[in-house]
Amino acid sequence: MLSRVADSLYWMSRYMERAEHALRLLSVRLDTMVEDSEEAAQQSWLRLVAALGARTAATPVLASDATRFIAFDRFNRSSVLSSISSARDNARAVREQISSEMWEHLNRLYLNLMATSYEAVWAGQASSYFRSLIDGLFMFQGITHSTMRHGEGWHFIELGRYIERAQLMSRLLDVHFGEMPVDAPEGLQKPRYFDWISLLKQCTAFEAYCKVYTARIEPNRIADFLVFDPEFPHALRFGVNRIHGVIEQIGTGAPPERRAACLRLSGRLKANLEYGQIEELLNGGFDAFLADLQHQCGHIHLAVHNAYIAYGVDGALQV
Amino acid sequence: MHQEISAAKRTGDTPPAIRPGEGAPFRDYALGAPYDEMFDESGGVRAPYRELYTRLIALPLEELYRRQMACEQSFLHQGITFTVYGDDRATERIIPTDLLPRIITAKEWAHIERGLKQRILALNLFLKDIYHDALIIRDGVVPRDLVYGAPNFRREMRGVSVPRDAYVSVCGSDIIRREDGAFVVLEDNLRVPSGVSYMLANREVVRRAFPSMFQATHVRPIEQYPQELLATLRALAPPHRENPRIVLLTPGSFNSAYYEHTFLARAMGIELVEGRDLLVHDNFVYMRTTSGLSRVDVIYRRIDDDFIDPLIFRSDSILGVPGVFNVYRAGNVVIANALGNGVADDKAVYAYVPRIIKYYLDEDAILPNVETFLCREPRMLSHVIGNLDTLVVKAVGESGGYGMLVGPHATQKERVAFRDRVLAKPKNYIAQPTISLSTAPCFVGTGVEARHVDLRPFILHATETRLVPGALTRVALRRGSLVVNSSQGGGSKDTWVQVI
Repeated sequence: MLSRVADSLYWMSRYMERAEHALRLLSVRLDTMVEDSEEAAQQSWLRLVAALGARTAATPVLASDATRFIAFDRFNRSSVLSSISSARDNARAVREQISSEMWEHLNRLYLNLMATSYEAVWAGQASSYFRSLIDGLFMFQGITHSTMRHGEGWHFIELGRYIERAQLMSRLLDVHFGEMPVDAPEGLQKPRYFDWISLLKQCTAFEAYCKVYTARIEPNRIADFLVFDPEFPHALRFGVNRIHGVIEQIGTGAPPERRAACLRLSGRLKANLEYGQIEELLNGGFDAFLADLQHQCGHIHLAVHNAYIAYGVDGALQV
Repeated sequence: MHQEISAAKRTGDTPPAIRPGEGAPFRDYALGAPYDEMFDESGGVRAPYRELYTRLIALPLEELYRRQMACEQSFLHQGITFTVYGDDRATERIIPTDLLPRIITAKEWAHIERGLKQRILALNLFLKDIYHDALIIRDGVVPRDLVYGAPNFRREMRGVSVPRDAYVSVCGSDIIRREDGAFVVLEDNLRVPSGVSYMLANREVVRRAFPSMFQATHVRPIEQYPQELLATLRALAPPHRENPRIVLLTPGSFNSAYYEHTFLARAMGIELVEGRDLLVHDNFVYMRTTSGLSRVDVIYRRIDDDFIDPLIFRSDSILGVPGVFNVYRAGNVVIANALGNGVADDKAVYAYVPRIIKYYLDEDAILPNVETFLCREPRMLSHVIGNLDTLVVKAVGESGGYGMLVGPHATQKERVAFRDRVLAKPKNYIAQPTISLSTAPCFVGTGVEARHVDLRPFILHATETRLVPGALTRVALRRGSLVVNSSQGGGSKDTWVQVI
């Protein structure tokens, strides 16, 4: 397929994942907010803003401001609105490559969001509005899964989703398990019991976790589950497995040496997660592990870009 | 002769004849001097429109309104929009579609079809001639400086041979109906005509809105257009390439016709490429894919000549493919439409088309031209300057309704300003009498009113010339307006060509 098309599908998918992630964090936060003390609420909002890697100057953080900033701020490049706009721009640029069902669904999501004012959402039931958006994003995945050929384009969509997810998840784990990130807002403290439950819910992992470990909420087990579970879609190991699997499927007609560069990187990362142990990480080094994972994902992104999207002309002729 | 039902007689009403009863949708329908597609001079309903008429008077306005909204919603969701760039952000608007179909009889269509085939044949011969031996200039039929001085004449095309001598393979001609009901050609679009996707999209929504009426009217299908376009492009491909790769070259998603580009590429199953996807290597064109570079044989381009190759034409173009013209000249890639076609749809050359048809085919033009005054000729210039209030004056190299003065609708100040521009560069302008385009019924929210329309059929030409039996009917949605261009507030209608 055209390199530009692969690139746009990849980015469309990354932006959709980014929007979904922000919406999940936001809606869980809004649901649990009512039970918080003022100080606890403050802490949770700080953690959420830090987890999204978004910079907002305002501390203390007001729930309404944070919500506006995360969901509706046109100038916040990782807001839900910006992400969905960018996803749609990418989809529009490859309009003829995706199914009409996909395009119309995404376009409707976008038009709906553009026609919605923050004030109206905040005055109404904000969290249920965000949940309906999440449903819309889930539906997009379903439509994609069942209306598009599972060929190379689809693999690039998968790659985008799991690279983005790995990076977002490692950032989220970092603000819960790591030493505080250097750019964390001032005054952010260690998480408490309630925060652990929120974390699981933000990853839609609460029920899955309970099935494995029962409802005993212990940070070590949560970490183990979210990092090393091979079957849970938001666990890092699951995502990294998918990344490697997808990389084996793309660019099959490209010269072997270009493919090898990508396969080596994703294979190494996969091995890291397959043979790692949570005990090692919890005895210090969780930060370094997460930083390395983000780094590796960045490398894979670059390697794929250089191999299939923006390669040199020499040796690329395939009449 | 059609037998016509008089609306007045039917309802026992008194004149004005076209008032079928109080509260009916036609209350504000005004018949004027222009030909009306639905009603004859006495207010009787023309035969092809009887079905539509009967249904409209039975249909509650609210229902019509609901169907109109459903149609607009569907266009918006499908992204059948064009982009308007405002102050802080770009907004997307749909091109308004009027639900009431415009109907063309089988006999009318046969005439239009013959006329356009003749025209495209002659214009292709003309283009081949002026880029090779220029016999028509030698024989003094068309003035030398008119051709060589035309802004869209491309001297780079001299001596370049074009596959099957098909310079114009995709054409959209604008036809209007005069007061006397005759169809005349207003303009030929031989470069990158657009609108065919709207023709197809309109059909889909209108058929859905009026299924039984559609069936009762016996409408010829148009859905095969993408296949016919693909067949045309395939016929241009080099014969020795077994599976020629055909691509559609778009300027990108910011272009106002982008929806059409994606639609056609999808419907034909060919790759939609941008300039940055293509590159030239060893005098062949390749596209960049995830598996490597892949050779391209035919480019259906939707980019103007000016932007297609920065090495030859505009060097500031970032939309094109550097070096592609050289590959084209070497015959290693086919570009459709050919480059340099703009000289033949030039507004001044237009005036000579009947003579061009006569010269090459020894036939009279089946579809006449609109009477045209060339400001380059002093005698005509003084006529134009003296009659600015009744004429339409157009700049020669422009299209899309830009650079145009509609005399009767302009202010005195606008006329004076335009006169100075014409006098400064008379060669740049032509003038035509203000022709009242025919009117057709349009739903305007409160009822059905008459609006001016034109007709753009789409012609394909490679080894043979073909038309799908349909067209884009463009509508001037503002009451009294004669400008149908979508960039200037126009809309469109589905066009039904009858089987018999």
